[in-house]
Amino acid sequence: METDVSQANSAAPPVPGAVFFDGASSRRRFVALKLSDALDIREDGKLLARWVFADIRRSDSPSGLLRLSCLTAPSLARLEIRDAQLMAALVARCDRLEQDLPNRKGVAGIVGWSLAAAVSIVLVVLFGVPLAAERLTPLVPDSFERRLGDVAEAQVKVVFDGKPCSNVAGQAAFEKLVGKLRETAGLDNSVQSGVLATSVPNAFALPGGKVYLFEGLLEKAENPDEIAGVLAHELGHLRHRDSMRELIHNGGTSFLIGLLFGDITGSGALVFASRSLVTSSYSRDAETNADTFAIETMHKLGRPAKPTGELMFRVTGKEGGKGLSLVSSHPLTEDRLARMDKADAAGPANGQPLLSSAEWQALKSICGSGKGKV
Amino acid sequence: MNDMSWTPPGPPQLPPQPVPPPMPVAFSGSRNEFFRLVARGAGLELVTLGFYRFWLTTDIRRHLWSNTLIDGDGPEYTGRGKELMIGFLVALAILMPIYLGYFLIGIEAEHLKAFASLPLVAFFYLFGQFAIYRARRYRLTRTVWRGVRFWMSGSGWIYALKASLWGLLVVITLGLALPWREAALERYKMRHSYYGDLQGSFEGRGWDFFKRGWWLWPLMPFALVTVFGPFAYAAFKAIEWRWWLSGIRFGEVRLESTMRRSALIGLYWKVIGWAMLLGTLFSAYLALCIFLAASINGSSIADFFRTEAFARSIPLMVLPGIGYLALALAMNVVMRVYLMRDLWVRVLSSTIVHNIEAAANVTARGELANALGEGFADGLDVAGF
Repeated sequence: METDVSQANSAAPPVPGAVFFDGASSRRRFVALKLSDALDIREDGKLLARWVFADIRRSDSPSGLLRLSCLTAPSLARLEIRDAQLMAALVARCDRLEQDLPNRKGVAGIVGWSLAAAVSIVLVVLFGVPLAAERLTPLVPDSFERRLGDVAEAQVKVVFDGKPCSNVAGQAAFEKLVGKLRETAGLDNSVQSGVLATSVPNAFALPGGKVYLFEGLLEKAENPDEIAGVLAHELGHLRHRDSMRELIHNGGTSFLIGLLFGDITGSGALVFASRSLVTSSYSRDAETNADTFAIETMHKLGRPAKPTGELMFRVTGKEGGKGLSLVSSHPLTEDRLARMDKADAAGPANGQPLLSSAEWQALKSICGSGKGKV
Repeated sequence: MNDMSWTPPGPPQLPPQPVPPPMPVAFSGSRNEFFRLVARGAGLELVTLGFYRFWLTTDIRRHLWSNTLIDGDGPEYTGRGKELMIGFLVALAILMPIYLGYFLIGIEAEHLKAFASLPLVAFFYLFGQFAIYRARRYRLTRTVWRGVRFWMSGSGWIYALKASLWGLLVVITLGLALPWREAALERYKMRHSYYGDLQGSFEGRGWDFFKRGWWLWPLMPFALVTVFGPFAYAAFKAIEWRWWLSGIRFGEVRLESTMRRSALIGLYWKVIGWAMLLGTLFSAYLALCIFLAASINGSSIADFFRTEAFARSIPLMVLPGIGYLALALAMNVVMRVYLMRDLWVRVLSSTIVHNIEAAANVTARGELANALGEGFADGLDVAGF
């Protein structure tokens, strides 16, 4: 085989101290170095480059090799030296050799700035996001919120496989109850409500004025006041537009915490854990406010709030000690019951019952007797 | 003649010539040094809450690149952590409105039918493939060998489209089309890769890959649920590496890999062993935490769980958190040592370069690419080296 160009070049007798790549081609040039007031790089006596010591920088290299570049030369021009003596001589002359390489000072800067960024993100999560949620929520148009509600409604119906219950007498009783609460609470008649045939004992409010009660909760209830209080609580969420606010709050928090840990889709374990800590404390506040609203509404109707607490207690049992209270989204049931009990003590419940006993029976059987009427 | 009496200039005694290694590709880095690098990096990641990852990634690449020797010369990684960080921030600025748009479109889709927005995930798959292409472009343009850089042309979006369509085919064929997908994508990538003015190409064919690895396909369902899994995965990766490397060309330069099917099995089992060891340590630590918290509380462990004290105990919330972080960082170190450094060394030691003389006089060409792709890859969690 024919010898290639670089071999032919290097075959010349004076074997010099270094290998030079000029940055324009990958040709390996064996060069002689001369250290005077600058570094002269010569190939076969011809001057290839002249590097000023102050401009010479170290580049990454395997151990045992000194690889140099120069600020004034083409950016990829490299000089490689293996001779220990020559290396030492050059290192002694080039006082800014390490200047552009990552160093200890650079790391300190990174740590400092990261901590500053982390502190600012945490502050924004704790104070900025709730404030933004507070201010942005009223700006969201009702029509958009209603759309969101429609979406959530469709999903809820799929997840719980719940069909709306439509027993005529029960429906009438339910509407009467909701109507009374709604008027007392000062909400307009755009509120949609219904009972879903699902055994899960729960009730919820969706954005855009939707309140749903699950049949499971209705079954556990013993009198109209219990259900009325729960509905009033959900109307409180509507009144405060809590779903919308929570959406903005959760979205913002996930995003920012994700930013901190480098996963902006917000799905990592750490992201999830820290987010649930922050958002659940926020949601506990919202629940407490909705409870306040429920208590006020019930008292305006002259009815006690305590039965609601009793119903919740019947559903959840004693909660303290079961899980981490810091990560739960609702206040402890016993605390809520105690609060309602205390609020009732202030004034006697002297209003008319919200539903007659016939209406109450109709409401209780709103789902069960859809086909064969009793 | 010479004004410096203490230097050996001009034509002095023969300096030791770089001895060409017996194999054209070798690795000279010290394992301890790499361990120190990643251990220190993990500590700094903890202190900086993860922001240090850009610089750690850069340092890992610098170490791996500069200690690799091809025909006696080591490549150089010229990327910097700052570039990766800026890329990440720009990617973030672009992704933010996209996420918002995604959310709004999702609502409209859900309006029509519950869960109709799920196909939109496909859009992010496309985006992830784009990120993979552009990230590779960044890494390639930061790779310099003999004073000439590698570079890449081509379009990230065309690649993403190809990758997605092939991906669909792979799903339809239950994985059988995978070799052809990889061959087609690699052909696109290599056709647009250059070393100076030397154009790359990929000669590996899907059929060859299929012939070597088809027997793994029927075993997969079995492998997924048994101890056989890591063996199958290691064999698959070894076959893939060998096939991929053996197909790479730059002009007349040709790579060949002699990697055996069993070459990577040990690596994966070592990682599993470490994971089990660390997991055991973590469990023991958790038990200790509970015991400590209970004794601070002054109650027996059974009582401790029965009462509310369990939920209110601050040490019981903080200590496991610290333990979890330590576990995650230790796992990171293990993965980086075995699945980056050791894997790198094993792959290199089985690689032979043919006709390297064709790269002896290559003219420099090509522009630097920005780190936006790396930023997207980081943000979307689709990673590479």
